[in-house]
Order: sequence, then structure tokens, then C-alpha cells
Amino acid sequence: METTRLQQKQQTRQKILAAAYRVYAQKGFGAPTAEIAKEAGVSHGSVFAHFASQAQLVEALLEQFGAQLGEGLHDLAENSADLQSLLRAHLALLARHEQFYLHLITEKGQLPPQAKLTFANLQSVAAYHFGRVLQHTAAAQNGVPPHMLFNTWMGLVHYYLMNKELFSPDAPLLPRYTDELVRTFLTLTQMGEEPR
Amino acid sequence: MKTCIACGMPMQKPADFAGGDVTKDYCVYCARPDGTMQSFAEKRAGMILFLQKTQGVEEAAAAEIAEASMRKLPAWQAQFTKGAADGDAE
Repeated sequence: METTRLQQKQQTRQKILAAAYRVYAQKGFGAPTAEIAKEAGVSHGSVFAHFASQAQLVEALLEQFGAQLGEGLHDLAENSADLQSLLRAHLALLARHEQFYLHLITEKGQLPPQAKLTFANLQSVAAYHFGRVLQHTAAAQNGVPPHMLFNTWMGLVHYYLMNKELFSPDAPLLPRYTDELVRTFLTLTQMGEEPR
Repeated sequence: MKTCIACGMPMQKPADFAGGDVTKDYCVYCARPDGTMQSFAEKRAGMILFLQKTQGVEEAAAAEIAEASMRKLPAWQAQFTKGAADGDAE
């Protein structure tokens, strides 16, 4: 009996988190909790029975999102031996969460401290795997520091995402620009290499 | 799947574990050369260095991120409950 009640509680909590993900992905983190309750099919009061405040809901969601994305990135990176496959895997993963990720990077200054930590942890997982592969590039051999190579890639990806209205106003951006972003970054990191 | 109690890294293959020993709860990166787990101060310093080297994060910002991450990890709970992380924990 107790277990069933606990399971139900857990299920409702997950339902609210999943609804919050969808609503925030679409409208940003400023969306009202009433809308999340509606999307989840629960009463507004039920949201606050599970999360004491909107900040707590956002924190729980970001913690879950960070853990899932971090794990996904770790898995994909373990199977990406070269830079090109790692870059593609990275963008493929971000593309699955493009709208939510875009709101996270553009609104994180206004979010609870957990948002900053989620973002920092995600960057660390990515940076660790990129570091392994980037060290073999001509750019690294020519003295470009590892953090500048990683930040150049992140800067490129985030610039396109944050200016989505210029580059892909009506369709998801990452699937459309993956080839160009990957090709450009590969060319830049290979500069100075003897032509084969 | 196990995750490292000291840094949170997923440990999937034996090589991810300290000394390749899958019964260990911490990963190869959190082990000292003699196989024991790094101390709070060692791990904190290592995380700060990692953030600086791989992402160019400024030192004070890196320390803040390192401590916020460690606060959530099972290995360091005691450090935070007794307030050892206040200021520069050695």
C-alpha cells in the first residue's frame, strides 16, 4: 500500500518535471507554473505539493537534465575516437534538446544557482572529452591552448544558437548547420598541418 | 551503473575504476598513485586546475564551481556538514 502511494507520488513528480521541460523549452523559464500544471494534467496545487517553490521545480528539472545530458555526452564521447565524430555527436545530442538548451544558455543569469552549476558541469563533461581528442590537432601542436580550442567550438555553437532568428528563424538550427559548423572547426584546427 | 563518489563520473568499464578494481566506489582520476582516494583538499585543487586548463575558468569562479559540485557528491558530505569547506579548506 505504502509502496503504491510512494510510486504514485514519484510518477506525478516525474509527470510535472516532464511537463515543465516541454513548457520551458517552448516558452522559456518565465512561463507560469499554472501552465505547467495544465500541461501535466494536474491541479496547480499539486505542483506545489511536490515542489515548495518555482525555484525548486527549476532546480530539480535542471539537475535531472544535467545528469541525463552529461551521461549522454559521456556515452557518445566514449565511442567517438576522432574529432569529427565527437563534434557531430556533441551537436546531435544538443539538437535533441535545442529549444530547452537555448533557453538555458540565454536565461541562466536569471535562474537559481543550480542553473549555473548544471551548465558548468555539462561544460566540464564536454571539455574533458574534447581535451582528449583536441590535443592531437595541428592547432594544439602549434601551441593553441586546450581551453581556447574548446571555447572556440563552444563560442561558435552558442553564437549560432543565440542568434537563431538570423540563421534559422523557422526551423531547428543545429540539424541545419551541423555540417558547416563541423567542417569549419575541423579546418581551423587542422591549419598548419602538412597537406597529405 | 556506478558513478564515482568523489567526482560524479560514470564508471562503465574496469579502466574507469581506481586501479581497475570494479569494487571501488571512486574512479581512476580520484585515486592517488598508491590507489587510495584523494583528500578533499587534493580533489578541490584538482577540479580547480581542470576547470582552468580545459575551459580557461578564472580561479575564484573555478573554486566556486568545484565546491558547488563537491557539495552534491557522497564522498564530501561530511566536509560540508562540519563546515570544513568554508574559506580555503586544506
